[in-house]
Amino acid sequence: MTSASSIVNHEEDIKPMENGANYMARTSKRWVERGTKLSPKHSNSGDAVHEPVFDVEDFISPGQLYSTESGSLFHAGRILIALVGLPATSKTLLSVAITRYTRWLGVRTESFHLSKYIKKSSNIPCFLSDEFSTAEGAEFKDEIIGQVTRDMMSFFENGKGQIAIYDALNIRKKDRANIKNFFEKKNIKVLFVESIVTNPELITKNIEIAIDSEDYKNWGKHEAIKDYTKRITKNESQYERMSPMESVSYIKYLNFGERIIMNNTNYGYLVNKIVFFLMNLSNKQGSVYLSRCGRSNSDKYIDDELLNEEGIKFSKKLTNIVTDRIKQKRLERKCNTLEFNENSKDSNTKLDTLNCDNVDNTEPLNLDSLVVWTAERKRTYDTAKFFKYEGFDVQKRSQLKQLHPGVVADMGEQEIKEKYPKEFEEFQRDPYHYRFSRAESYHDLAVRMEPLLLELEHMHNDILIIAHESTLRVLYGYSMACTSLEVPTLDFTRHQLVEISFKPFNNVVTRIPIDI
Amino acid sequence: MVLHKITNEKDIKLCVIMVGLPARGKSFISQKIVRYLSWLSINCKCFNVGNYRRVLGVDNPKYGFFDFDNVNSYEIRENALKLAFEDMLSWFDSDLENNQVAIIDATNSTRARRNWLINNCQKNNVHPMFLESWCDDKETIMANVKDIATTSPDYDGMDLNTAEEDFMKRIENYQNVYSTLNTTDDKDITFVKLINTSHEIIINKIQTYLQSRIVFYVMNIRIKPKCIWLSRHGESIYNVEQKIGGDSSLSERGLKYSVKLKQLIQENVKDNQELSVWTSTLKRTQETAQHLPYKKLEWKALDELDAGVCDGMTYEEIEEVYPEDFKARDEDKYEYRYRGGESYRDVVIRLEPVIMELERQENVLIITHQAVLRCIYAYFMNVPKEESPWVSIPLHTLIKLEPRAYGTKVTRIKANIPAVSTYKEKGTSHVGESSSAKGSHNLLVNAPEIN
Repeated sequence: MTSASSIVNHEEDIKPMENGANYMARTSKRWVERGTKLSPKHSNSGDAVHEPVFDVEDFISPGQLYSTESGSLFHAGRILIALVGLPATSKTLLSVAITRYTRWLGVRTESFHLSKYIKKSSNIPCFLSDEFSTAEGAEFKDEIIGQVTRDMMSFFENGKGQIAIYDALNIRKKDRANIKNFFEKKNIKVLFVESIVTNPELITKNIEIAIDSEDYKNWGKHEAIKDYTKRITKNESQYERMSPMESVSYIKYLNFGERIIMNNTNYGYLVNKIVFFLMNLSNKQGSVYLSRCGRSNSDKYIDDELLNEEGIKFSKKLTNIVTDRIKQKRLERKCNTLEFNENSKDSNTKLDTLNCDNVDNTEPLNLDSLVVWTAERKRTYDTAKFFKYEGFDVQKRSQLKQLHPGVVADMGEQEIKEKYPKEFEEFQRDPYHYRFSRAESYHDLAVRMEPLLLELEHMHNDILIIAHESTLRVLYGYSMACTSLEVPTLDFTRHQLVEISFKPFNNVVTRIPIDI
Repeated sequence: MVLHKITNEKDIKLCVIMVGLPARGKSFISQKIVRYLSWLSINCKCFNVGNYRRVLGVDNPKYGFFDFDNVNSYEIRENALKLAFEDMLSWFDSDLENNQVAIIDATNSTRARRNWLINNCQKNNVHPMFLESWCDDKETIMANVKDIATTSPDYDGMDLNTAEEDFMKRIENYQNVYSTLNTTDDKDITFVKLINTSHEIIINKIQTYLQSRIVFYVMNIRIKPKCIWLSRHGESIYNVEQKIGGDSSLSERGLKYSVKLKQLIQENVKDNQELSVWTSTLKRTQETAQHLPYKKLEWKALDELDAGVCDGMTYEEIEEVYPEDFKARDEDKYEYRYRGGESYRDVVIRLEPVIMELERQENVLIITHQAVLRCIYAYFMNVPKEESPWVSIPLHTLIKLEPRAYGTKVTRIKANIPAVSTYKEKGTSHVGESSSAKGSHNLLVNAPEIN
């Protein structure tokens, strides 16, 4: 067990108190720690979920409530999460998603993908349990597994790591027993997460994703599908499903959360929190679209106004752009699936007989498949009105309320600097955690928005979120694994629609211009 | 393919339907969910079918009443369910409040009855979610049987042995017809099944965030009876100086309390019982815990409400320097956030991991601070959030909480070491409890927790 004591005294915090020699007042044991030594990377770069965890003393994640000297949170100790499952069961997606979420909470998590290690040392895309029947192969396999294990141990021991996620097949009891014995000896708890997919549509989708990867870069689609399917079948014969008889702790995850079975996982808050997250995770088809609202006459925090003419024009344009984009993406998906089905039939259908133009581009979007969330303020809800006219589901979500600016509402930087010079200085030191008088900090906002982040994970189809810049920053920050230094600097102009596509390995942002 | 429906959670009415034999901790779990959701400001109410049966005039039924072949009594039991269900619907329809989660607390042990509930929920636009507690651990069952035989109104005035015997026969009657939820017959419905509390948990077809939140909470509950001990730190130097916040050491009297506390705990906790002691990261709680010979944990989340710029000031000083803030805080103490500091609501949010861990642990002594204890106390005692910041938690008093199926039992043990009062009444900067304030808060302590 580790202690959850407060972290280091910052030198800048040790200064004479204003109320005289009140040496016993709280100086450093604040809820919010200030002044990190990191400087933000340039913002708006790609998904940072695979960047190493920062090894800086006072590094704080956006959704983190406190920090400890040991680096561990929730009194949970160190945990190895080992995935179990056949190819095409979303193991990589799961490991990345859990990494993203737990890092947001402040846990030092890193995922270790065995396939990446193999790729580094050999050119064949291979999956361990079937490719190594020779002595040479077995040696290669042991070496690779040894490498991953060493890296994971080093992450725990030298990198203050709390959760390592081991992304490999681990389909045989023997493999699992080895993992368990090795890590438990080092006082690291081991939890298996077994992903089982029986839904044919999900399998198809996962195969599609797999053959789209680097592994099959120069392969024909048909061959790739054939090869990959063969790999699944080969592994299937060696697969020993987990059961209570195995006396290990495990979570079974069936068809992407349709059913979850936890066995002997009495590991505390953190593991339960991960299951909580898994209950909400869904296999996303669609994307998340982020947009600001249109203009209103005074555009002030204080007024709750409807849009002006320019704003209405903007919202019309936005409606067209979003619906067109979604139509286009669905069309691509449909084509891919058609093509895929043709290929996996193992027939000799020529690809060129398949014509994507056969799919009707003019058919209207299915109304159920897009949801629009807005804040409760009139101008954001008003921005969605053309979606409402077209029959889409438009919902006001109170959690999308913008960051409460407190006393500095509707002030420019210059004005704040003049009226609140001391506060401004502090704000600049830590814009993520600083609260102006009566204001919320970004940290407050992120904590208050956590339910919404999980709901966002829950969504299966396309969603458009129209909200204030501050709220969009938090949503984006979570989706792209930004640090708390970056979140307040993220840029959302009214001239761009931000599209976040969820991919198993990393999320991808596309900025689509809105010309008005 | 839609694995998870897209729903507008705002309009969702959720009905949690308990399933399980008697003495499996269903009422206990139901009451806990009510308490947890209310603490998070989500309106939730439990409809106990047994209570409706008592309304229908069956106060002390013998086990024969629960024989499923007994046509007359079966009809009464059906009617009790219908009454409970109707009450639930009108509660959902209330315009005054945003009522979101209802719990039907009954055995609901047959598939026929569960199907009736599913159909009627769907007809009324209510989402059903089943929550089964399945248990074959004799020890847990017997502890529950004893608890129910002692506390249930059904056995009022009956001697304990007869009551236990009758209750065991009642369970047998249910056992004859009980069909447990499984992943074949019930694969299409939303359900959670707890097998021996949390040894195995099956979570099936969770549809919404709210459902997942409830499941998350239930995963953390332990049914085993336990005690939670609460104490503020001993009197600190700041307390004596009437300053708030800070990180000061104990006063002389406070140090005396730390010695006495060890004695009080040892008098009340049996030798063979395990106990862990949780403190905040602030000096005064650690000094208070210094003599206790148990495993100790420091929680950052147990640190006192951060008074921001007012940290280290007296209430008089605050009233003078920040008169508006002082007034605003008294008007809405739960929501008021100190400049650069925290509100009670902020504290509740950061306490959630503590509450979850507390649910999972057995016997715990928590040594922390006034505002934090108020929030923890409010959770266990179901104190409404407007009142919770005003609950009286005096210094040098050990509070013992025993969560039970029908409410939490409270015992206050005074250490008889004098200390200043840090209680500030509404509308004054003067510290100290008047007799009237004390009276009303004592009442609150003794009030039954539910209804």
